[in-house]
Amino acid sequence: MLHLLQIDLKKMTSYRTFWVICGLYFLTLGFTTASGMEILKWIASKFEDFGSSLNVNRIPLYHFPDIWQNLIWVSGLFKLVLAIMVVISITNEYQYRTLRQNIIDGMSRWEFVLSKVLTNVMLSLMSVGMLLLIIIVTGLIYTPELSAMDMITGSEFLFAYFLEIFAFLSYALMLGVFVQRSGLTIVLLMLSHMIEAIIKLNLFRESLEPSIGWLKQFFPLESITNLVSLPFPRYAFQEIQDTVSITAVLIALGWAFLFNYFSYLKLKRADI
Amino acid sequence: MNEVVLSTHQLTKNYGKLCAVNQLNLEVKRGQIFGMLGPNGSGKTTTLGMLMGVTNPSSGSFSWFGEPATHHTRKKIGAVLEHPIFYPYLSGQKNLELNAMIKGADPNNIPQVLKTVDLTLRKDDKYRTYSLGMKQRLAIASALVSDPIILILDEPTNGLDPMGIAEIREIVKRIADDGKTIILASHLLDEVQKVCTHFAVLRKGKLMHSGPVDDVGKGEETVEVMAYHDDLGVLLQEFVGSGPIKKENGVFQVMMKDGYHSQDLNRFLFERGIVTSHLTTKKKSLEKQFLEILAEAH
Repeated sequence: MLHLLQIDLKKMTSYRTFWVICGLYFLTLGFTTASGMEILKWIASKFEDFGSSLNVNRIPLYHFPDIWQNLIWVSGLFKLVLAIMVVISITNEYQYRTLRQNIIDGMSRWEFVLSKVLTNVMLSLMSVGMLLLIIIVTGLIYTPELSAMDMITGSEFLFAYFLEIFAFLSYALMLGVFVQRSGLTIVLLMLSHMIEAIIKLNLFRESLEPSIGWLKQFFPLESITNLVSLPFPRYAFQEIQDTVSITAVLIALGWAFLFNYFSYLKLKRADI
Repeated sequence: MNEVVLSTHQLTKNYGKLCAVNQLNLEVKRGQIFGMLGPNGSGKTTTLGMLMGVTNPSSGSFSWFGEPATHHTRKKIGAVLEHPIFYPYLSGQKNLELNAMIKGADPNNIPQVLKTVDLTLRKDDKYRTYSLGMKQRLAIASALVSDPIILILDEPTNGLDPMGIAEIREIVKRIADDGKTIILASHLLDEVQKVCTHFAVLRKGKLMHSGPVDDVGKGEETVEVMAYHDDLGVLLQEFVGSGPIKKENGVFQVMMKDGYHSQDLNRFLFERGIVTSHLTTKKKSLEKQFLEILAEAH
């Protein structure tokens, strides 16, 4: 297993595009999540321009336990960048035909898919690690009264975050395996949410909503989004889902498995 | 030395209605330099693609080393199909390191194979900066990196200039001298005749002929004769061993009957007081045989 990961990393670590995209991803992810207070202050200053006031210290953005869901939800927005990297990595193998040579050299098709999936696991784990670090540091700085209980509460979002990234990267990999051309795959990847939304809109007309509306959560991209729900309405006194739903996890796990299985199935049957 | 390394049984590949490879039965033994001949589109690459696991056979089977093939058997084979394939943004060295990792080969072999193909000086340059000849040579290096039992080369001289072709031929001969089994697909007949011990001819996916190269032209000999004598043509016709005689550029070409050889002709002429100034035995060239085999198929 480790050997397969090493093979895929060997392909990437001398590839400048890989470093540029990953560098941009981790930098923007880090800076954005760490500078939430500055963003709040900026919003507050805009409020003042309109003559109302907003006390930023009364919004516990970085306080345990809120910080978990807040930062993790924001981080989820950046996963598209990582997914584009995954698309480039797989479509390059088709474009350069190196996939063919890898198989000729003695990789099995299963091993090839596994090497890509393992890289996805690694990228997801790195995102989780990076976020954990930022959450601990900023949480310790901003939380006025620390308690162990508060710190642990909400940490299950970290697992949901891992699954969110991994499932989405698996989806990107599958798209790459099926489409094989980088440009088209990236466009499809970026439009995926919209395409799914349009399908749902047409499928679930208002009259049907009460009877089969519950089916929505089974849609692949929605299942990924459902893992970590938008936390900020709670500061406007609205109800939010502030725990990780087991159903959402199970559905997303199912999709992550299926995405990778479809990639394998496609590769197994193809003449390359 | 008679161990069978590759055998195919009724191997077939259909692309829709097109039958690219049709019930192919082949056998390659250890130590052979096996030439696969055929016009473009005769199914050579498709066959090799199936043998190397990138093309799924429609029916039939094949075995390497007497066992059904898995990806592990492929690690013991060094193969380059069609074009050299490498990561353009990696250096030659890094590409070979990657090949070695996939094949589970010792990376310490890399300097040696780079030397074999004469690429040591350019090993740290990116692959995309290489000339076509260097790319072909790197491909051979990558096939050699695991010190394979068998080497498969598909048109290794495609698109090269005469010097590049000569270089590759030298490399192939050197590898052959090491006792490796080589399967060489080519449409350059001269190439195959110079290098190979055995050959097979494919046409439209069907096996037309398979046998040792030495058998080519067996039992049929043409002798070229030249002598400073005005009646040479008449005299040659008197010789009992002469078949049809042709004259080309002042040289008589005598097709010999079965059982007669050039020394018999020479003795005959000498006894009549004629000393030849030129006498060569010509076996039928592979090219001629190849064209005959293809013509028979029509």
